[in-house]
Amino acid sequence: MRALPVCLALFWGGMAWAHASEQSFVLLLPTDVYIAAGVASVVLTVLLLAVLPARAGEAVFSPTPLLRRPRWAVRHGTSLLATGVLAFAVWQGFAGPRTPMENPMPLLVWTVWWVALVSLQGLFGNHWRWTNPWTGVVAVLARWTGMRRLMRYPRGWGYWPAVALFVAFAAFLLCDPAPADPARLASVVGIYWYAVLFGVLLFGPAFLLRGEMVTVVMRAYGRMGLFARARGRLAVGLWGWQGVVRRAPPLALAVLMVFLLGTGSFDGLHETFWWLGVIGVNPLEFPGRSAVVMPNLIGLVVANLGLLAVFAACLWLGERIAGTGRSLRASVCLFAPSILPIALGYHVAHYLSAFLVEGQYVVLMLDDPLSSGAHLLGLDGFYVTTGFFNTQDTVRRIWLSQAGAVVVGHVVAILMAHALAMRDGADRRRAVLGQAPLAVFMVCYTFFGLWLLASPRG
Amino acid sequence: MTKLIKGTSRRGALKTLAGAAAGAASLPLWARYAQAQSSEPIKIGFQQHSTGIGAAYGRWYGRTTEAAVKLINEGGGINGRMVEIIAEDDGTDPKRGAEVVEKFANQHGCDVGFGTLFSHVVIGSAPRAGELKLPYFVVSEGHHVASGMLNRYTLQPGITDVKSQVQAMAPYVSENLGKKVTMIFPDFAFGHDHRDFFSAAIAEQGGEVLAQIAIPPSETSFTKYFPQIPRDTEVLYHVMVGPAVLTFVKELGEFFGDQGPEIFGFIDSLEAVDISSPGLEFLEGTYFWEGMPRYAQDDQSEHEKFYREAVGVDETGASVSDPSDVSTYAHMFGCWETLHVIKAGMEASGYAGPLDRAKLIEAVEAMGDMPESQAHPQGAKRFNGKTHQVFGHQHISRVENGRLVRVHTTSIEDTMYPDEVDYTTQPL
Repeated sequence: MRALPVCLALFWGGMAWAHASEQSFVLLLPTDVYIAAGVASVVLTVLLLAVLPARAGEAVFSPTPLLRRPRWAVRHGTSLLATGVLAFAVWQGFAGPRTPMENPMPLLVWTVWWVALVSLQGLFGNHWRWTNPWTGVVAVLARWTGMRRLMRYPRGWGYWPAVALFVAFAAFLLCDPAPADPARLASVVGIYWYAVLFGVLLFGPAFLLRGEMVTVVMRAYGRMGLFARARGRLAVGLWGWQGVVRRAPPLALAVLMVFLLGTGSFDGLHETFWWLGVIGVNPLEFPGRSAVVMPNLIGLVVANLGLLAVFAACLWLGERIAGTGRSLRASVCLFAPSILPIALGYHVAHYLSAFLVEGQYVVLMLDDPLSSGAHLLGLDGFYVTTGFFNTQDTVRRIWLSQAGAVVVGHVVAILMAHALAMRDGADRRRAVLGQAPLAVFMVCYTFFGLWLLASPRG
Repeated sequence: MTKLIKGTSRRGALKTLAGAAAGAASLPLWARYAQAQSSEPIKIGFQQHSTGIGAAYGRWYGRTTEAAVKLINEGGGINGRMVEIIAEDDGTDPKRGAEVVEKFANQHGCDVGFGTLFSHVVIGSAPRAGELKLPYFVVSEGHHVASGMLNRYTLQPGITDVKSQVQAMAPYVSENLGKKVTMIFPDFAFGHDHRDFFSAAIAEQGGEVLAQIAIPPSETSFTKYFPQIPRDTEVLYHVMVGPAVLTFVKELGEFFGDQGPEIFGFIDSLEAVDISSPGLEFLEGTYFWEGMPRYAQDDQSEHEKFYREAVGVDETGASVSDPSDVSTYAHMFGCWETLHVIKAGMEASGYAGPLDRAKLIEAVEAMGDMPESQAHPQGAKRFNGKTHQVFGHQHISRVENGRLVRVHTTSIEDTMYPDEVDYTTQPL
């Protein structure tokens, strides 16, 4: 075989919708101009905050109450439904079609949950209250058996189990040779679901809220959403308003927030020609994921710890400049929520192309969930297309949407960081001064994020 | 009824199975018994690059495979048995490739394995297929089958190999485009194959390669290499691949403008890319090798017309449901033809189950000429049973008004070269 054309590998969990031409067209776009514009808008935000009235930064985050929160008592019902869907997916993972594009297991976990539901959670608000697959089962078990938790969730554990589980999840996503293999994924997900249920029965709901990685990540992203409760009402505000209003997270949760960005960044980075050059792989002859497990594991760890170090260093420097007398730990906890919009922007940008293709496979799967030849949605003769990667115009639109997500994420992050500093009692001069290193970091990160989107990938 | 694999193959097969079941009910009792005896489907393990760097090809290989299996099943299957495709993703990963082959043999009970494209996956998987004695039909174009590097259970009967393709270009290039050639190629095995095979072939035609410009694989800007092209170059031979290929074409156009040498390339560079894309205007008037002409030609055979319709590809080589979704047309016919070779081989050997795998290998080895037909819409082929490699016509197309217009078809003889191995001497 002579041809290894093009094919950028948009990995999520090993599902790469490599396509010949998207990246080729991206390389023809004037991305340097776009990158400059994106970075400039983030710089402008920083400058505006320095000159605008003191409370303007905070004001953008004040929520608008909408309506009295309806008392829907359906969350256990929808949770049971989610459990049913998950059980179906696990069953199909073992018994269904063998390719990841056709099997409901990888499609539901990677495309529907990790790409779509996580994005929706961050963009709109906490739907995990209704969609998580454990609470319904726990409620039913508690009602039938009258069972109470057997032990108290150890206080000292805090959110650290969730941090550890998230790192394991990231390693599975980015470093496992075949995370989208239906049976392999079904085993992992099935065992995880069962183990978590056991944890909840043992420790009560606290385990779900603090120890279980998915729920903790979802609730963290839920803090970014437009909609949430405020004073008994459903309210809407700019992304991140909840993060400004709420108490600062404990250290472990703050670390997890930084790791969300570190992992997302490495997810983008590990496909680039640059990274493949670092690990000595010819990008046009990629030897397969099983050949790069160790380099990617090391890269993942270094990326996360490195980001944490840089983030902490910026905050430390900011404190020294502004002299607010906050401890480093308190600073990390205070400002970590401002990392989330960046992580979310990356998440949306990174998976947008993949979603455009995988979404079609999800629709096909819904058309025929049991692989029985049915056409529940009447899609007989529907062909999945990747044609939108083949024209300059559509590729430009996709790229600008991705870049937009990255830039908006950073703008919101800067606003949030400023509002958090003000809320913490700093006067404006101190807030602006203390924020300067973090702002420089975020401007640089904007450049990095846009460079990731524009750079050639193997 | 066994659960069949999703995709049009499965859907088509289900409909056909329903039809076959209805048909069986009207047969006399003894025949129904015989039908039942053989009603287990023939299982073909499809090693698909669903993910990883081969996924763009994998999708079209999948679509072609589904169409071919649907046709075979509608025609009564193989030896009266329906064909079931068991598609497994190998992640375009050699290590997983070997595991997939193992699954085909030990877990899914497949009769044969089929469909692998990328060389490194073929090279990683074939040894396991040989150990398991699982007939392994690759659709890879690699020279690794005919070079003797693999084993008796690995065959490539549906697509020609890169050595024969490159070699067959030399006569046309030297007679019509020029004898002084400069080659630009990516600096790794794929580019080196082109360099070595073409340099030898053009020398045989009395031509010469003036310069060989090897481009580092991670390069994304090419203008700095163009001054290395000797001024007396008559033909520029390029085989760039990777995400920077459109940049390469654009910069080449900016460098040469309206003047410059004739330009010849392999469509692999632009497979699945719309040739009339903005930025590719410079390609007008340049030449490409094509395994099968992407655009329907004026003299398109009825077989090719049938094949296009079955796969769902329009006359520009794009998906019928989306004109911008360009297929990997120059290569994917290999899946269609390989499946028909498997069918012919199983029928010739009276294949009834895995115990007959050796007989199947011998039956395919005994195949010689394969005439152009519905089973071989790309054209006639000649299979070499000793080297396990098929040979066939190659095409050269010229870009005219943003379309690829075929200007030359090689003979099969142009593509042949002396045997480098005799697999039939290896035990079965």
